[in-house]
Amino acid sequence: MSLELLLIIAFGGALLTYLGGKLFGKIRHFLAVAVSLALVVLVACLYGRSMERTYYWGFLGLNLVLRLNMFSWFFAIAISSLGMLSVIFSLSYMKDRERTDFYYLMLLVVNAAMLGIVFSGDLVSLFIFWEIMSWSTFLLISYNRGPALAAAMKYIIMSIVGSMSLLIGMLSLYTRYATLNISEISTSLASADSGYILFILIVFSIAFGIKNAVMPLHTWLPDSYAEAPSPFTAVLSGMLTRMGIYGFVLIMYVIVGAVSTLNCGSGILKFNYILAWLGAITIVIPTFIAMLQNDAKQLLAWHGIGQGGYMILGIAFGTSLGLAGGIFHTLNHAIYIVLLFMSVAAVQYRTSGERDLNSLGGLIKKMPVAFIGGLLGICGLIGVPLTNGFVSKWLIYKTLIVEGYPFLAFAALIGTWGTILSVYKFLHNMFLGQLPEKYRDVEKSPLSMQLPIIVLSLAILVFGILPGIPLKVIDTIGTSFGFESLNITLWGITSESGTLNTINIFSAVLVAAVLFWLLFRFGAKSVPVAQDDSYAAGAYTPADKYHYTVEFYNPLYRMIKPFLRDVIDEFYYWIASSVRSLAGSVRHIYSGDVGYYVMYIILFLALLIFVQTRWKIW
Amino acid sequence: MDRNQITKWIKAPAKMANKYSLHAIYFCTGCGIIEVPPVITARWDAERFGVIPVATPRQANLFLITGYVSVKTLRAIIRTYEQMPEPKYTVGFGSTHLWTLIDKDMANGYIRYRENYNSYRRNQELVLGELEWPPLFLVSDESQGNEQ
Amino acid sequence: MVTKIIHIIFSPILALVVGIFFLGLARKIMARIHWRYGPPLVQPVIDMIRLFYQKSVSHGRMFDLGIILSLAGSIVVVLFLPFGQICPLAGSGGLLVILYIMLLAPLGLALSGGQGANPNISIGISRKLILSLGYEVPLLLVLLAVMTCYKTISIVEVVNAQDNTGWSITSWPLFLSGLSYFLILPAILGIRPFDVSSAPQEISSGPMAEYGGKYLAIATIEHAFVLFISIALFVNLFLGGAANPAIFFVKMLVVFVLGLCINAVFPRFKIEQAIRYLWKWPTLLAFLGLIMTLVIRS
Repeated sequence: MSLELLLIIAFGGALLTYLGGKLFGKIRHFLAVAVSLALVVLVACLYGRSMERTYYWGFLGLNLVLRLNMFSWFFAIAISSLGMLSVIFSLSYMKDRERTDFYYLMLLVVNAAMLGIVFSGDLVSLFIFWEIMSWSTFLLISYNRGPALAAAMKYIIMSIVGSMSLLIGMLSLYTRYATLNISEISTSLASADSGYILFILIVFSIAFGIKNAVMPLHTWLPDSYAEAPSPFTAVLSGMLTRMGIYGFVLIMYVIVGAVSTLNCGSGILKFNYILAWLGAITIVIPTFIAMLQNDAKQLLAWHGIGQGGYMILGIAFGTSLGLAGGIFHTLNHAIYIVLLFMSVAAVQYRTSGERDLNSLGGLIKKMPVAFIGGLLGICGLIGVPLTNGFVSKWLIYKTLIVEGYPFLAFAALIGTWGTILSVYKFLHNMFLGQLPEKYRDVEKSPLSMQLPIIVLSLAILVFGILPGIPLKVIDTIGTSFGFESLNITLWGITSESGTLNTINIFSAVLVAAVLFWLLFRFGAKSVPVAQDDSYAAGAYTPADKYHYTVEFYNPLYRMIKPFLRDVIDEFYYWIASSVRSLAGSVRHIYSGDVGYYVMYIILFLALLIFVQTRWKIW
Repeated sequence: MDRNQITKWIKAPAKMANKYSLHAIYFCTGCGIIEVPPVITARWDAERFGVIPVATPRQANLFLITGYVSVKTLRAIIRTYEQMPEPKYTVGFGSTHLWTLIDKDMANGYIRYRENYNSYRRNQELVLGELEWPPLFLVSDESQGNEQ
Repeated sequence: MVTKIIHIIFSPILALVVGIFFLGLARKIMARIHWRYGPPLVQPVIDMIRLFYQKSVSHGRMFDLGIILSLAGSIVVVLFLPFGQICPLAGSGGLLVILYIMLLAPLGLALSGGQGANPNISIGISRKLILSLGYEVPLLLVLLAVMTCYKTISIVEVVNAQDNTGWSITSWPLFLSGLSYFLILPAILGIRPFDVSSAPQEISSGPMAEYGGKYLAIATIEHAFVLFISIALFVNLFLGGAANPAIFFVKMLVVFVLGLCINAVFPRFKIEQAIRYLWKWPTLLAFLGLIMTLVIRS
């Protein structure tokens, strides 16, 4: 079982789905699911192996290499399984849309390109797959037309800026070391001077920071997530944005090496310290901006940016606990953000595309599975104990506090409270409260939507109660980068400065809940009432008017709204409009009047004669 | 001990608790509401007996109809009463409530409350019909003095 | 092993008894301040017996389960807090776990009330969450100062360290943090001037608007546990814990009576005024405390 075969199946399967759909119609669903399922199985079979193989000799004088180690495997299994769940979800979501062949083709191409990125062993392959991923994402974000085109344009421009930065880094490395193979570069860079290392780190960080939406490079994300088709938004936010995290870990710990990265710079201007502070700012500000949003997908998109800050904070901090926390948070965030976007998509599907939080409500009895998905998703996002988000956040907090950086810990902790406020508003405005009249006939989600939601909800609980399962893999990754190993048990982590033991918490909560449920049954029986039989001061509840959704946190909005304008977005738009006006004024040189052109020619000749007589260049 | 005694012994806590813990909600648009604040604050201190006001009928087990009922507000009274959970008690509170029931020929009160086109005269059957408890009338000195 | 099981069983029961006693004491002391007699001290017990015998309405599955979740969360926090020398689950995560399980309580209440489908409930929950955000900012700074000062995340170690160095509130950099914590304690307990989230006159008691019967009983038990947890955390971190539960109870009583006196004389803040207060002086004091701790410890 080799890596080239895997990638050929991935890309070939995408093409096959497209052709099969064009020829036979219904077969596209079957092929798409089969391809993604096959990829999951194949990647799972590769667990624990490590290999490095050249698959193409002589590309511009370089060999292209594919590589597998535990780090690649970790990301690959996450990519392929979330891709498969998203494809299964799309079976119902895209049922009656047009151009579904194109949709499946692009979805599978994105999947395959991400697998290519994590399996690539040299920077040229990385670049090739990075670009394939970028333009196929662009095509898929603009699937819906309309405002999606502007959002996709913003995405592709920023992504290209990042890719150019990546190319600059690659060119610089090639001219210095004449090779772009990752393992060879990492041995060569061990002896480079720290100025060059800083340059390499910054150039690559710009590229990966744009992809991962670190502040101030985050402005493409909210619109793109909101306008893309929802199952693809799930893949986008779950794994595609986290290719930036893969890149960060690659450049910081694989290529440059842990020792050089952590010693780069001095005092307060160390590279990883500044990156950690950028991560902290990325946690706080987008989480509070998310509270102000009225569009369900924009709210989740801003949370995606904020959670990326946690990962950057953990990874940049440079201790073994921090790295483990950051990488684990990548996986956890992928699970629960995919779950949340799927729950939004289920509601969108049944209410013909409604995603405005001010007009939804009360869908808990009509769509219970979507509600359970939303509930467990927000519990994971907040980091309630017994969910997976809590374990990764605990790791990050602990390393920050024990190493003595309380202000970074404060930023991370206050991010959690901002998250609680905004995701409660999300859940309340969609599922709780009174049901509007026009949604009285909403049905439950179809089975192919319920299945991924249930699987992901179980994953949240399982990884929260038994975090040892993924933490073992992450520990192997950490030791391969040269950090010390953590004491991982099935139920938590033991270390000399405090242990985490989820089985105690779980059994305590379980016993307490069971006891109280019994006590609850012991009380007098309760009479079930309809949803609109609620206290209204002696009157009957007025239909459609008895629901509190608009400006849910009105007092807080008034206080913090002036501080949360997205000035960075306005700054980028200002740059774009300045360039446009500059180009507009340059255009006026070509006035269309032949007299002007003759004058230009004569003036230029005069300039050349002047220069020749004065300085005698030729 | 025979079965009745055991049942009585088991039901005793419920009886005691229902007697000493009455959470009250009032029909506030009745004119007798002005008599309620002295009752629940330091003048007559109903909290000694465990009577406190609560905000919604869902939390209450005592309904104080403070004042006379008019046809317009009858609907609100019925709805509030329905929203209260079982077991629940009702108390007619204040002298105006009294006057709508008494079929006597008393000068001011009779004309003002009994013969009024909008007052509802069948309170007793309406609300108290299904309960065995006789109605209690709490009348304060000042209001009684005014009405005479 | 056996003592651990006994501690696990008795710790929540002791917390419940102390909490219910505090509820009854609150009503009695408030009544005496108002120059009246007030209910007997066992009034909350009578109330709860009656509430368990009362039928209620239920709006659905989430309505029932949310409130059980919040109560379960509170009980688990009690297992993590040292009460005298009783601390069953000491070594399972420390202050971070306590901070995080403490948010199961309002979350459970919010989920349960949400299905009550009443805008009064929704407004009450939004106010409660905003108030929580308000007091969390200074509270986190205070807790970080304590954790940085004693270089640990375990609350048992903080208590033990105070045996050697005296109460935290009397030691120099942590005095500011302790003062800040005392200033935000009424907000954490939900007593006046910060009882805006369950304002009976404005929003018909907020999240508890649709609760009757056993739901109200469980909400009262929940309130008792929250009282216990908040005051116990303050006593453990700043007043030195205690060697046995009796002295711990006396310290808690003193703090609670001070809080009650504040409750008796203040009116209710609007939510904007509450946030403005919480983010001004207590946050400033806590911030200064944290900076002083960092400067002294480095």
